[in-house]
Amino acid sequence: MGAAGGVELVLETVGLSKRFGGVQAVNGVDLAVPAGDLRAIIGPNGAGKTTFFNLVTGDLAHDSGQIFLAGREVSGLPPHQLCRRGLGRTFQITSIFRRLSALENVQTALLSHHGRHYNVLRPARGLFRDEALGLLERVGLASQAAKPSGIMSHGDQRRLEMAIALASGPRVLLLDEPTAGMAPRERHELMGLVARIARDTGLTVVFTEHDMDVVFATARRITVLHQGAVLTEGAPAEVRANPDVLRVYLGQPTTAGR
Amino acid sequence: MLSPRSLVVLLVALAAAPLALPPFFLQLLTEIAIIGLFATAFNLLMGYGGMLSFGHAAYFALGAYAAALLVRKAGVPMLLALPVAPVVAAVGALVFGVFIVRLSHTYFAMLSLAFGQIVYTVIFKWKSFTGGDDGLLDVWPPPYLKSPAAYYYFALIVVGLALWALHAVVDSPFGYALKAVRENPRRARFIGVNVRRHQLVAFVISGAFSGLAGGLFAFYNGSVFPDFAYFTKSFEPLVVALLGGVQSFGGPLVGAFAFKVLEWLISRQWPVYWPLFLGSVVILVIVVLPQGFVGLLGRRPWARPVGSS
Repeated sequence: MGAAGGVELVLETVGLSKRFGGVQAVNGVDLAVPAGDLRAIIGPNGAGKTTFFNLVTGDLAHDSGQIFLAGREVSGLPPHQLCRRGLGRTFQITSIFRRLSALENVQTALLSHHGRHYNVLRPARGLFRDEALGLLERVGLASQAAKPSGIMSHGDQRRLEMAIALASGPRVLLLDEPTAGMAPRERHELMGLVARIARDTGLTVVFTEHDMDVVFATARRITVLHQGAVLTEGAPAEVRANPDVLRVYLGQPTTAGR
Repeated sequence: MLSPRSLVVLLVALAAAPLALPPFFLQLLTEIAIIGLFATAFNLLMGYGGMLSFGHAAYFALGAYAAALLVRKAGVPMLLALPVAPVVAAVGALVFGVFIVRLSHTYFAMLSLAFGQIVYTVIFKWKSFTGGDDGLLDVWPPPYLKSPAAYYYFALIVVGLALWALHAVVDSPFGYALKAVRENPRRARFIGVNVRRHQLVAFVISGAFSGLAGGLFAFYNGSVFPDFAYFTKSFEPLVVALLGGVQSFGGPLVGAFAFKVLEWLISRQWPVYWPLFLGSVVILVIVVLPQGFVGLLGRRPWARPVGSS
């Protein structure tokens, strides 16, 4: 699809739909994320956030619609190809290589990104070591490089997963509930880190999040899903003032209007 | 791997062994080296790739029969026939592996077992070509390699080079990505790794080195039999790897040594009770020593866990 109003769209979905039996989980979602955006996707429970996410990341096959990454259609591509086309992600449940050290986690991702993962002829230990250490430093884990990642704290594992995702050199980074299971202070630290990385590197970030404080503190723009469709989209202040948004969140103890 | 000093000590001891040991023990050491290679190749899948094959005897037997058939049917000399063993085994592993790596865990194991039994059945039934139940006899090395000491040195050099190559594989970028696949296939896909293809390449490498072990064993044994492909033979590298420890590169080698030495000690006294004894030891190791015998040796550099470097 490509440029809209002169701004390059890094991620775009057109009429994306998915039905589970009698439930239309995602119903014709059009999403356009321009380069450099820091986009939150929110909505009450059951709004279709996670399903939408899984459609974009290739974990679920969509029924209809199209997905574009940096202007090229990627609908139906398997995850490893999406990754090579520039789609990075973290998982709702932390997903790392637990018996490898933090450094090896990131090094392996770098080796794959640089297409060296079939090389059997030279030791991997020294390859991309400095780049890996640099990424660990960026997420605040430089001092834990040699630690087996499985014994790191939960918050540090989430940071590590961020470094792994960044190692693949993504154009757009999808974060599925990146602060799940973290203490409030940790949440703001982590999302502050995400915002800083996005600003420094021009990386586009799309994330789902339950904590509305985090959403309104971090997101540049917010897309609200409701019953599988886009209810509204706008800057945090607009979304916060939107009566429809307040209405769909009514009945839930929400912090959206706070 | 071993520290340089202990590696030198070990190599000197192995090189000097023919001066001190009678032929029987040289044959035992030769067999340990060959089984050690087979189990190490198997452990590339199990320990490093998280894939449990119940049919690895197939690739051992493909290598053994490829070498034996070339010698017996085509009159090819051993030194030319042996390199064909891993090639034929690799082709077999590629053809079967394409189907096997589509499945995971139990189904992976069962399909590998099924393909193994197919290889066994073909060898067993194709009497005109493979000799069927009678096997193929007179598969001996050339005269200058026929003495126990000469074949011991030959096997030691070939196994040593093969182990060096396998160690290079696990330490390479390919090996890193293989460990990533073992740890977390879902995450591995999202660092851009084609998980199935990676598993298939590992399967082929493992099959090739199993075939080389089979070829070496054919000339050591002087004959090949369909039993080489039977599923009970597939449990040998599993038991050996478990005994020694699947979480380190050297584990299967230590396991092969323990397995063969225990077998010799027990079965010369009480041949009937060897399976009972082996079963008890395996249970004991699994329950008490999940890291295998190398776990007893503490954190020596060469007993390093598979996961870290």
